[in-house]
Amino acid sequence: MIGADVAAFIESPVMILVSTRNHAHRAFIARGSGARFDRRRGHIDVLMCRGQWSDVAGNAARGAPIAVTVVRPSDYRAFQVKGVIEEIASASEEEQQRASAYVARMLEILAELGVTKVQLSHTLTDKDLVRISFLPTDLFVQTPGPDAGQRLEQASQR
Amino acid sequence: MIRLSDIRDSFEGVIPSVIATTDADGIPNISYLSHVHYIDERHVALSNQFFSKTAANVRHRGVATVMVVDGRTGQQHILDLRFVRSVGDGELFERVASHLAVMSVSQGMGDVMKLRSLDMYEVEDCRPIIPVESLAEPEETERPRDRLYAAGQLCAAIAQQSDAEAMFDCALEGLQARFGFANAVVLVPDEEGRKLSTIASRGYPAFGFGSEATVGEGTIGTAAAMRRPLRISDMRRGQRYASAVRAEVMRSGPDHIPLPSLAQPRSQMAVPMLSRGRLLGVLFVESEKSYAFSHRDEEALSLVASQLATSLLLAERDRSEGWAVPASHQPLPALAARCIRVRYFPLDGSIFVDGEYVIRGLPGRLLHHFLSAFFQTGRTDFFNREIRRDGSLQLPDFKDNLETRLILLRRRLEERGGPIRLSRPERGQIRLECDGFPEIEIATG
Repeated sequence: MIGADVAAFIESPVMILVSTRNHAHRAFIARGSGARFDRRRGHIDVLMCRGQWSDVAGNAARGAPIAVTVVRPSDYRAFQVKGVIEEIASASEEEQQRASAYVARMLEILAELGVTKVQLSHTLTDKDLVRISFLPTDLFVQTPGPDAGQRLEQASQR
Repeated sequence: MIRLSDIRDSFEGVIPSVIATTDADGIPNISYLSHVHYIDERHVALSNQFFSKTAANVRHRGVATVMVVDGRTGQQHILDLRFVRSVGDGELFERVASHLAVMSVSQGMGDVMKLRSLDMYEVEDCRPIIPVESLAEPEETERPRDRLYAAGQLCAAIAQQSDAEAMFDCALEGLQARFGFANAVVLVPDEEGRKLSTIASRGYPAFGFGSEATVGEGTIGTAAAMRRPLRISDMRRGQRYASAVRAEVMRSGPDHIPLPSLAQPRSQMAVPMLSRGRLLGVLFVESEKSYAFSHRDEEALSLVASQLATSLLLAERDRSEGWAVPASHQPLPALAARCIRVRYFPLDGSIFVDGEYVIRGLPGRLLHHFLSAFFQTGRTDFFNREIRRDGSLQLPDFKDNLETRLILLRRRLEERGGPIRLSRPERGQIRLECDGFPEIEIATG
């Protein structure tokens, strides 16, 4: 489902958007604070601030659907991965460190692109972290352009 | 619910917005979108360029959730939206399409962001995202001035002027004094509507009179082509665009005068000067600060630009075009007098003096006309009325532009510092002053 190149892309310095939805099918928005592909289990782990993104966190339940979009700021190359949530847990010490490194690296990269720390002041955080692990079921190209939204991969079972 | 008018700076498109929807199977979808356009307190429009999944989901569910970001403070707001309808043409569509076209260029995205349709939504809720910790705080900014009051005062001051030249100076002086806009330029279109020439400027090392912007290019040229105000709040993200603009500014050549321009502008705003549907010029301001100009400044400057356009049009049509007094002559200089080498290209009206480009188009043809008359008869005084009637100047469709052409020419000659100048002893009268005797060469190239 997730090839080596997409896995590497997800773990590279990319902006991360996360969405879950409520029972009324209203979708919610959150920003991720780092993501990785668990190659052993085939899961994607995404970290985010529970307090700041309470709508998404509150609707993240085992078995619920989730969508995560990752975008490289330098060229807008993007993928969207959809899947089913397997686990929600507080971030471990190692994950906390990974999120801090992610925030620091994104600030550097975006600064090079002319985005200031003030502009990102409410966007990036490594506080109050929760990890959402999900099993990917669909992969889409999301880079702006005529191919945006095109499906790349679909799991055989959903 | 937060008032949309209180977060207008979040609708600038500087920081990409985010949209989330849910499909028929209940699976969420999340992506960036370039712009959320403010329509009124209860409505926004989303430019639907290429997000087919989002579009399908909205059609199915009728709702979407959007997050907008204030590019100045970094504050984020969530908008719960309910779809109303899609529009593919009309005034709002055109306004958004033109804005998007410019922003896509300014963000180095080419025509990727070409608008397909505009989706109108009702805003059911607008709420802030409260950060657990803010990484940085924005700088304190000056309390916004009362733009409407300032615009009213400036319009009244412009309306007091009877002379076009005084109007330009009054406008630029007022922009600095009443709005704090220290770097400003007024440009007027040429006869073909392809170029705009600087006729007044303030806040730059050189006035750059006669320097040109191409219609359809850059902030100034695009505002002219689209006849809509154009405001860019943060040019840092558009470095490629800024580079392209700089290249235009720095372009060198025998017939190039550099446009007055800041080395590193962060904000720019260009407002077309329209009257009776006609483009009479562009009012341009820029700043080295990001977010120097707000949407309220845009509205205020549009009022000022309209007043300037209308006053100019009236000044052009003023019937006081000089008395038909006998033309005065200057004794022809002795043969030993300094020779001024004039090279004239009838094809585009460009004129060079002592090897240096002066001006082209109608102002060039006018200068050639004055110099030829002086060369042949020693005549130095000319009148607007006779110029308007002179078929050799190819004026017919542009009679109303004569006054601004003469101001442009006079200012350009003044900035060059000689050896040829124009003065205006009386309204409707032009006096040629030459520190030598012109030797005119007609070039065919």
